[in-house]
Amino acid sequence: MAPRTPVDPGLPGSCARAATAAEARYRIQRPIAPARAPRIIALDDGAGEVVRGVAELEWATARFYTWRAAGALHGVSGGTATLDDELASADVVVMVATDDAGADAARTIGEACFLRGIMTAGLVIGTGINTGIATRGGAGETAGRAVAALRPYARVLLPGADVDDLVELLRALRA
Amino acid sequence: MLRQDINELLTRTGPGTPMGELFRQYWIPACLAEELSENDCPPIRLKLLSERLIAFRDSHGRYGLIDEFCAHRGASLWFGRNEEGGLRCPYHGWKYDVTGQCVEVPSEADNSSFCQNVKLTAYPLVKIGDVLWTHMGDPAKRPPLPEFEFALVPPEQTYTSKRLQECNWLQAFEGGIDSSHVTWLHSGGLKSDPLFKGAKGNEYNQKDTKPFFEVVDSDGGLYVGARRNAEDGKYYWRITPWVMPSFTMVPPRGDHPIHGHFWIPIDDENCWVYSFDYHPVRALTAVERQAMIEGHGVHSENIPGTYRPVANRDNDYLMDREKQRTGEWYSGVKGIAIQDASVQESMGPIVDRTKERLVPADAGIIKARQKLRKAAIALRDHGITPPGVDPAHHRVRSAAVVLPHAQDFLDAVKDDVRVRPGVPISSV
Repeated sequence: MAPRTPVDPGLPGSCARAATAAEARYRIQRPIAPARAPRIIALDDGAGEVVRGVAELEWATARFYTWRAAGALHGVSGGTATLDDELASADVVVMVATDDAGADAARTIGEACFLRGIMTAGLVIGTGINTGIATRGGAGETAGRAVAALRPYARVLLPGADVDDLVELLRALRA
Repeated sequence: MLRQDINELLTRTGPGTPMGELFRQYWIPACLAEELSENDCPPIRLKLLSERLIAFRDSHGRYGLIDEFCAHRGASLWFGRNEEGGLRCPYHGWKYDVTGQCVEVPSEADNSSFCQNVKLTAYPLVKIGDVLWTHMGDPAKRPPLPEFEFALVPPEQTYTSKRLQECNWLQAFEGGIDSSHVTWLHSGGLKSDPLFKGAKGNEYNQKDTKPFFEVVDSDGGLYVGARRNAEDGKYYWRITPWVMPSFTMVPPRGDHPIHGHFWIPIDDENCWVYSFDYHPVRALTAVERQAMIEGHGVHSENIPGTYRPVANRDNDYLMDREKQRTGEWYSGVKGIAIQDASVQESMGPIVDRTKERLVPADAGIIKARQKLRKAAIALRDHGITPPGVDPAHHRVRSAAVVLPHAQDFLDAVKDDVRVRPGVPISSV
């Protein structure tokens, strides 16, 4: 066994001193830039309603779209874009679904993100899909299919999510 | 990131604060039963949720948890004499029973009724398993006693320890639902710790360092599922339950005992970490129990006579750069418990969450904060009982399973994550 490096807890840099509230005052306080360049894509009509509502809040770098077809995106505040163009400047894509109508879109987006090394997250808005391990009512069958459709392509998946979950996730990401 | 006002709301647990009131809805661990090991043993000082208290066990075996300070002149009852059915302040002889009722004021006349009007704040103290539990909220809204499996199995099947952690409860607790750190911070322990090593699941952990996560609401809190690649066409799932406010269980490994934690605020800058191991269907072996006593697994080696770890911030957690270099201890700190404590305490007494850069893999933490905030506000504004109070919510288990790709983990594990007395844990 290698000799243990002697530690003097009285040293100014020791944990005993460094972890105090007093020392916390000296942490660097520079403003933090938005951390991510997220693209939020609604995969179906129900999700489009949710995403349009969330897009009205104040965001730094987030861009919000609804999926059309074959890699075409429709901006929630107007305009169109292609998936390829948007992924060129994105570092996280959040897919939002309410049913499994967007299963093909999830696969297209997920595979495109995988190729580019872009992080993916998925939110399935709705209740009733956790019936195995929680008492939740609602029409869960379609949402359950949405979960199955997103599961292979979303590195982080929130089944049974609501609008607040989307807002909280984006705020936590400094979107 | 988290707004500063929300960070304040979630981290402050003193009387009158929203999160403090939330904690006061639950039965929470107050101390270990071993701390009051026999009738008339010395009382112990406790601080819980920023309230200074004295716990004692009277001549009849009744447990009491009362205001630390004598109603007369404010002396600490830690100096008290625990004798003849009560705790007597040594200053002027005032005596209190386990309900906080003053039963003697020696300076008063023999037939004085004065002491009947003197009662210290008191909370119930109930032994379940190795833990003495208390409820510090409104007695009129006291919920049924807790029903966590680790506390209900026979004594030979369970072991609980505790340690002081010198930071706010929330940043300590958040480690319990942060599955992705295990691959890094605790990677050495998967190979060498006697309470972890040897499980097939460890191989999946080590081969796939980029798990997928699913975060699912439960009646009492959340389930956090972490998915890694297993053999062809299969996933290895590890499912961590969180029961509000601060109970989590670590997914099991092989036939090792299953373990978990409670994080209980002492004040806003310190917390107790209760760590347990139990096996639902067999006694712990002598080797397993000895390993726990020695601080392996989720337990810690504490300074004798205290619950402060031997490796603590005053000695830089006995950092060993050579072991860090070789990877035997990935961070250079020995032991899973102290690996967690060291990085979490280094964040400062209350971490400034406005400076965070969270990533999608932190979804469990994001969701847990949201649920805590909503529950605290719903309680404050509308008196709504939060999730996790109902003992039915306590009957959860963690699980580790291998499932075909096509199988829905929500359906597949619905029985595995519920307590089934006499049924083994689902483990890989």
